[in-house]
Amino acid sequence: MSDLRELYQQVIMDHNKRPRNFREIDHANHLAHGNNPLCGDKLVVYVRLDGDIIEDVSFKGSGCAISMASASLMTEALKGKNLEQAQAIYEQVHKSMIGEKTDRSLLGKLEVLSGVKDFPARVKCATLSWHTVHAAIDSDHEVSISTE
Amino acid sequence: MTIIGTATEKAAVISFMIDGIHPHDVGTIFDQHGVAIRTGHHCAQPVMEFYDIPATARASFAFYNSEEDVDALISAIQKTQELFA
Repeated sequence: MSDLRELYQQVIMDHNKRPRNFREIDHANHLAHGNNPLCGDKLVVYVRLDGDIIEDVSFKGSGCAISMASASLMTEALKGKNLEQAQAIYEQVHKSMIGEKTDRSLLGKLEVLSGVKDFPARVKCATLSWHTVHAAIDSDHEVSISTE
Repeated sequence: MTIIGTATEKAAVISFMIDGIHPHDVGTIFDQHGVAIRTGHHCAQPVMEFYDIPATARASFAFYNSEEDVDALISAIQKTQELFA
């Protein structure tokens, strides 16, 4: 039971109920579709890059509480960061989800996502938005990724 | 809570949704309470589209299930609603 509270923390529930940056970006210059066909989780991540600064990042889509909260937290964490900082955060989040040692100063609030490490079946829910934003930034054209 | 599929001659396989909570969240919570159910689209995506839902939670009953199992299922539903309240 304590594991369950660890997974569904207040921050996760709040971001699931009221996802931040849940909108399209009209002048997005990077865009990726993320799809987790086994779960049915689907989202689109919009990024507006100005040089190497993530000026704006948002998402739209549907999925379980973990995937929605993770996407919402992702947009909050990456907005205003440069690409190097974003990459560092991405790597820390990934490590935290598979139970590896992390740099807490970089993770900050994102540490709540590490609860999935005890639920292997749910790791993909939490990583979808992060893989998708990574694919969006890496490509100059619209891309689609799938976690299967 | 909504039961999906309401045929009169229904088998002991019940697909359901709990208050708009995603079935994968439901499955994880049930599992933590010792109740094993299936969640997902059950390889039946067209039916999911028909009902306009991403997935369902699905409990299957068999000859070895007891009344206590049914009680455990009901309790898990309540625990899920409490967590997502």
